[in-house]
Amino acid sequence: METMNKLGRILLVEDDPKDVELTLTALEEYNLANEVIVARDGEEALEYLYSRGKFQTRSSDNPAVMLLDLKLPKVDGLEVLKQIKSEEKLRMIPVVVLTSSKEEKDMVASYRLGVSAYVVKPVDFHEFVNAIKELGVFWAVINEPPPGSVRK
Amino acid sequence: MARSKLQLRIAQSPVLRYGLAVLSVSVALGGALLIERLQLRNITLFLFAIAVAAWYGGTGAAVLALLLSCISFAHFFVEPSHSIPYFILFALFAWLVSWFSSVRRRVEAELLAERTQQGSLLNLTHDSIFVRDMDFLITFWNLGAQELYGWAAEDAVGKHSHQLLQTVFPAPLEDVHAELLRTGRWEGELKRTTAQGTTVVVAARYALRRDEQARPVAVLETSNDITQRKRRQEEIQRLNQELAKRSRELEAINKELEAFAYSISHDLRAPLRHMAGYTELLQKKASSALDEKCNHYILMMLDSAKRMGNLIDDLLAFSRIGRAETQKTLFSLTQLVREALSEVRQDAEGRNIAWKVGSLPDFYGDRSMLRLVLVNLISNAIKFTRTRTQAEIEIGCADGNGDDLVVFVRDNGVGFDMKYVNKLFGVFQRLHDSDAFEGTGIGLATVQRIIHRHGGKVWAEGVVDGGATFYFSAPNPRGHLWKP
Repeated sequence: METMNKLGRILLVEDDPKDVELTLTALEEYNLANEVIVARDGEEALEYLYSRGKFQTRSSDNPAVMLLDLKLPKVDGLEVLKQIKSEEKLRMIPVVVLTSSKEEKDMVASYRLGVSAYVVKPVDFHEFVNAIKELGVFWAVINEPPPGSVRK
Repeated sequence: MARSKLQLRIAQSPVLRYGLAVLSVSVALGGALLIERLQLRNITLFLFAIAVAAWYGGTGAAVLALLLSCISFAHFFVEPSHSIPYFILFALFAWLVSWFSSVRRRVEAELLAERTQQGSLLNLTHDSIFVRDMDFLITFWNLGAQELYGWAAEDAVGKHSHQLLQTVFPAPLEDVHAELLRTGRWEGELKRTTAQGTTVVVAARYALRRDEQARPVAVLETSNDITQRKRRQEEIQRLNQELAKRSRELEAINKELEAFAYSISHDLRAPLRHMAGYTELLQKKASSALDEKCNHYILMMLDSAKRMGNLIDDLLAFSRIGRAETQKTLFSLTQLVREALSEVRQDAEGRNIAWKVGSLPDFYGDRSMLRLVLVNLISNAIKFTRTRTQAEIEIGCADGNGDDLVVFVRDNGVGFDMKYVNKLFGVFQRLHDSDAFEGTGIGLATVQRIIHRHGGKVWAEGVVDGGATFYFSAPNPRGHLWKP
């Protein structure tokens, strides 16, 4: 498939295994799940982005998009955002906040830190699947990623 | 003062006055006769008698004494024709004595009158006034001081002022004294103890009196009782502190609530989403293998999850209204109603509704909150007229009491029993079962909260099956515009 060839890598930062499963299920439905890397907390996400720890040997290209939950163990989402936006090499990665929280202050803080989009996970699964699908299709397929990220 | 009173009393009784003249001359005559016998001629005794009569008895007594002396002198001692110059000298001298004496008496009487008048004037004032000398000994004490401190003038005069009143100064006594000597004035609040042993707080003013050589001689102190004022001040201060404490506590509670709401929005929604998600996946994978009943169960699960999601959202929105800052502007209510109507258009699709929107005034308040109020009230009206073939919904402005403007939304829907009117605006309160009319029971509570935050009121009128009218009032923007 042509889309498969052009598929960008998605970094999903999510601590809740059920959310991970549901998100992957939603992406699978549209064949977007193959290039998804899951980080279970903020620290792991940073390890991946900086190619540290267990990601030491990964290829040096950046993900096409990062789907970031805000409430995370160890290092929370806003802190991860702060760090990558202050890093020359990482600041161009499109970040989509994908969270349960509708809190305005989270939204404001996220946009202030330069996120590309802010998505509240819908309770309704249909809507959730649609949201994930659209995010995946847009960022991993339609959007032209910044230099430094590789498409397969 | 007591002595001068005595003198006056004697002088005012004529019997005593003239009796004194007769008596003093008689005594002088006796003395003179006695001396005569010793071969000494002396008129000094008569002069002395006249002086005494003049001093204590006044002019009349002096004249009488003079006459009597002359007669006695002429009769007993000299031939008047032989020593007329001597006699004239005597008479002149006697007159001089009486004149001096009467002048002195008059001056004394005037001084006394003046002093009494001043004293009684000072007694008129409500302020307490007393004078003390530089050794702190009280020399004057007015009626006000007696009323305030409880001691009569007799008890206070001559006492050490600070010891008598147990004065507590706001600053060291030396500093007070230094300021008084430097500027001639001092004022401050003093704590004192009255004769009854109660403590009073007074606002005192000191004024220093100096003599001709500019030496300080006395201090005049005016003071009034500020015990009550002070007590009220302290009370106000205490209440203020309490209020500040309460407000800090409330702030802390508010913060906690905020954290709580945040946690709800985040943590409660996640499992709900999972339940709905997995149920839907189950439905997708297994619905063909399940019978109708099982499929119905799955539908119910999904429906409940969705409903709970709505409840959480509404509750969060409701709690957010309490926390959000209101941003007040003046805006057109007509325009806002139009926006609200377009927002609820979806609900009204396929319905036969006769809309009637009256002329609406400008409104001063938070526009987005007011829009929520209108959306809630209008969508309620749409919802509860669902059973009508011809629904009528009216939005208008009712006559307020001048200061307030009153807006209403009226419908011809199913109405409600006025018996339950108190329940209408409560959180999660519903007067209809959710089968007939869906809803979370938060809409009207939200309306009420918003209107309360605008300083207004909400109320409703309804008849079962006869429609309902919801009113809200708010301060008239015209009043606001003219206020600085």
